[in-house]
Amino acid sequence: MSDPVGRALTRITRAAGVQGAVVVDAEAGVAVASELAPGVVETALAAMAGSLFRRTSDASRTSGFGGVRLLQLDAADGHVLVAGAGSLLVVALTESGAQLGLVRVEAARAAGELRG
Amino acid sequence: MKRDDLYAVAEAIKGPMKDFVRESRVRTALLVNHSGQVLAQRGFSRGFDVGDVATLAAAAHSSAHALAKLTDSDRWTHLHHAGREKQIFLAPFRVGDEELILIAIFDDDSTLGLVQLFFDRLVEAIREIPQLQNRLPKGDAEGFERDLEAGVERLLSEPEDD
Repeated sequence: MSDPVGRALTRITRAAGVQGAVVVDAEAGVAVASELAPGVVETALAAMAGSLFRRTSDASRTSGFGGVRLLQLDAADGHVLVAGAGSLLVVALTESGAQLGLVRVEAARAAGELRG
Repeated sequence: MKRDDLYAVAEAIKGPMKDFVRESRVRTALLVNHSGQVLAQRGFSRGFDVGDVATLAAAAHSSAHALAKLTDSDRWTHLHHAGREKQIFLAPFRVGDEELILIAIFDDDSTLGLVQLFFDRLVEAIREIPQLQNRLPKGDAEGFERDLEAGVERLLSEPEDD
């Protein structure tokens, strides 16, 4: 993929421990493009990440903190990072031992590029 | 479908439909067959007539099916209409010989992605119900009126058990 979306996905998935990255339509919660390891379900990741980001953003705005830029979910077996990019979201799914710092930087950079 | 069959089928579908509405956070979900017979309804339906929605969904399915045939597009997977406040998701799926149609109406509490995700799970759950494996005979033109009446009558006579 040579477009900005494709480049963003490639950069994120190069980091160690990343199981997949997907660019999601924030409003609909559906995938626009993705690079996923076998066994990762694109529909589920896009829908869940979209819903999570949306609800967290609502809560953040209601609490007076403004919109969410980056959301990180730490679970027992891995992490989900979601970066807001206007009408799009950049989502990264990683295993628990992943290089999270690098993934965060790449996800935020990709979101910035997609926001234009 | 006969009235007794309809009751058995409606009973078996209740659980999966309840799960679908809860997980996808849609306001209303209706499951109808190709002739517009209502097999299940969950959620809130204030403000519209269930029978009308079921009949129109069946008609929309028929025309979309015909359109898909005309354009060699095989079968259509779903139809999504995003309104200003509410969105409609209409998707057919096959169980045995019968084509069923799910109609989901949702607002900004849900998203198309969530509805699609849990629709796939609903289909899997419904296909696993043993009573439904060979229980749904294909309807015909003569049965349309009877089917529609039976479905709407069942809905009106049975309160929801939330």
